[in-house]
Amino acid sequence: MEQAGGIQAEGSGAATGTRPDAAVVVDSLVKTFKGDVRALDGVSFEIPTGTVLGLLGPNGAGKTTAVHVLTTLLRPDSGRASVAGIDVLANPGEARKHMGLAGQFAAVDEGLTGMENLVLVGRLNHLPRAERRRRAVELLEQFDLADSGNRLLKTYSGGMRRRLDLAAALVARPPVLFLDEPTTGLDPRSRIDLWAVIEGLVADGTTLLLTTQYLEEADRLANTICVIDHGRVIAEGTADELKSRLGGTTVEVVLPDIETAARARSALEGVGDGDPVVDGLTVRLATTTGLATTSELVRRLEGAGLDVSSLQLRQPSLDEVFLSLTGQEPGVGNEQENGSAAYDRDRAGRGAP
Amino acid sequence: MSALTIQRGTRAELGIGDTFAMAGRNVRRILRAPDQVVFTLVSPILFTLLFRFVFGGAIRGLGSINYVNYLIPGIAVQTAIFTSSNSGFALADDRGNGFLDRLRSLPMARSAVLIGRVLTDTISNATGLVIIVIVGLAVGFRPHSVPGLVVGFAVLLAFVLATSFLFALVGLYASSSQAVNAATFPVIFPLTFASSAFVPTSTMPSWLRAFANHQPVTTVINAVRDLTLGNVTAAQRHQLFAGQSTSALVIQSLLWTVGIGLVFGYLALRRYNSTNL
Repeated sequence: MEQAGGIQAEGSGAATGTRPDAAVVVDSLVKTFKGDVRALDGVSFEIPTGTVLGLLGPNGAGKTTAVHVLTTLLRPDSGRASVAGIDVLANPGEARKHMGLAGQFAAVDEGLTGMENLVLVGRLNHLPRAERRRRAVELLEQFDLADSGNRLLKTYSGGMRRRLDLAAALVARPPVLFLDEPTTGLDPRSRIDLWAVIEGLVADGTTLLLTTQYLEEADRLANTICVIDHGRVIAEGTADELKSRLGGTTVEVVLPDIETAARARSALEGVGDGDPVVDGLTVRLATTTGLATTSELVRRLEGAGLDVSSLQLRQPSLDEVFLSLTGQEPGVGNEQENGSAAYDRDRAGRGAP
Repeated sequence: MSALTIQRGTRAELGIGDTFAMAGRNVRRILRAPDQVVFTLVSPILFTLLFRFVFGGAIRGLGSINYVNYLIPGIAVQTAIFTSSNSGFALADDRGNGFLDRLRSLPMARSAVLIGRVLTDTISNATGLVIIVIVGLAVGFRPHSVPGLVVGFAVLLAFVLATSFLFALVGLYASSSQAVNAATFPVIFPLTFASSAFVPTSTMPSWLRAFANHQPVTTVINAVRDLTLGNVTAAQRHQLFAGQSTSALVIQSLLWTVGIGLVFGYLALRRYNSTNL
C-alpha cells in the first residue's frame, strides 16, 4: 500500500508541476519568426498570484515575444500559456478581460487629451459611462496627472506619457499586469517615480510580469527574476539566489602602496576560496563564509605588520550575475559574439568591477 | 480595490458600442486638426476651377450637355476615393506607434477598429460632398433633381466605404504612412484619371478607352452622373454611358461595391486579427 502510494505521488508530481495559485503559467513556448529566428525556444515559467516576476535579458532575448504571446497579440508555434487561469490560446477574448498591457512605446493617442484616452479605454473595456469618468479622474489623480488631464498628449513629456500609458493599462483594474520595459528611455527621475507607482500596485495585490534590461529595476521590483537569452530561460530565482551563484561574498582590502599590496597577497595565501587576486592596490578574496574569512584575514595582516587603507565585504552585483550568465552587458544586442563574451564571463567570474 | 461593474449586452451590442467609440475617437481627432480638413479640400476646389474655366472650353464630345454638370460628379468621385485612403494612413500610424497593440489587448470587438475607421472616412466624405456641391453650385453646376443628387451620392458613399477597406488593408501592411502614400498614389491616379471623370472616354485612344470603360471608377462616375444629369437622351446615353440604362449603371456600381467591400473587408480583418501584425 505504502509503496503504491509513493509511486503515485511521484508520478503525479512529474506530470503536473503547475502551482494552483499561479496567475500566469507559461509552458514550453516556442516561436520561430521568418528567417529561422527562434525568438522563444521552450520558455517556461510561472508567476504566483500577487507576486512580481522580472523577465531579464538582453535585446532580442525573447522578452517582448513572450509578453506578446501572453497578451494574445502573437500565437506561438507550440506550447501553452494561461493568464488568471484562462488559456490565452484557446480563449483569447476571455483572457483579455483579466490583463493590462503597457509596452515599450507609450501606446496612447497623441491626438486626445489624457482624460479622453482613459475614458476611451474604459469604454472599450465596457465600463458604464459614469464609471469610466470616475475611474479616469481617479487614475489621473493617482498618477499625478490631474492638472494635465485636459491637455492633448502632444504636450506631455516622455515621463508623463509613460505614466498615462500605465494608467490606461489599469483602467479595468486587471488582476494581471504586463509591463514591457516600462522605463526604457526615461530619465532617472521619471524612472524612480514610475517605480514608486509600480510598487504601489503590487502592494494592492496585482500580479506583475515586468520585462527589463535594467538589473537595478528587477532587483528593486521583482520577487523572482527569470533570466532569458536566445529564447531560453537560463536562470531563475530571487536576486539573492542569483547573486549567491557567483560564490557569495568578496572581501576587498586596499593597501597604501604597491609593495604592501604584494606582501599582503603572500600573507593572505590560503585564506578564502582560491588564491587572492591583486588589482593595483586592491587585494580580493572570494569566500562563502564572509565573517570567518574576514577575521582570519585581519589576523594575518596584523601578524605581517601591514597597514590597511580600507577593508570591505561586497556582494556581487546583479550586473555581474548577468554578465556571467549571458556573457553580455544588459541591453547590449546579440551582435557581440563569443570572443568578447568569453572575456566578459572571465572578468565577471573574478568579480572585478 | 472595489470590483468594477461591466456593461452587459450581447456580443453584437457591445461590438456596435466599440465601433462608435472608435469612430468617435477618429472624428474627434479630425475636428482637432481643421487645417488638415481645409487642406484636403483645396485640391478638389482647384480642380473644379481648373477644369471649369481653363480646360472646360476645349473638351468635346458632350453634345448639348453643359460641361460643369458633367464635371462635378467626376470631381466628387475622385475626391471621395482620395478621402477613403485616409483609413490606410490612419491605421499605419496607429500601428506604427503601438496604439493598435493596446487596442488588440483590450476585450473589445476586433472588427470595431476597422469598421469604426471606414465609417469615419464615410462621415468625412459625406461632409466633403456637401462642400463640393456648394462650390459646384457657385460655378454653375445645376443638378436635375435633389432626389437624383441624393441617390447618386448614396451610391458613391457606399462605393468609397468599400474602397476604404482596400486602403485599410494597405495601411495594415505598410511600414509607415509615407509608405501608404507611395503604395496608393500610383493606384488612385490612373483609376481616377483614366476614367470618365474629366473627359468622355470616347475621346481617348482605343486601348485606354477599353480600360477606362471597364474599370469600376468609371462605372460609379457614370451612375452618379446619370442620376444628377437626369433626362439623358438616348443619343447622349449612347455617347456617354455606352448605352447603359440608369438601373444597369447603379446595379453594376453596387456589385463592384459589394465585391470590393467583401474581399478587402475580409482581408483587412484577417490581417488585423493576424498574430504577425
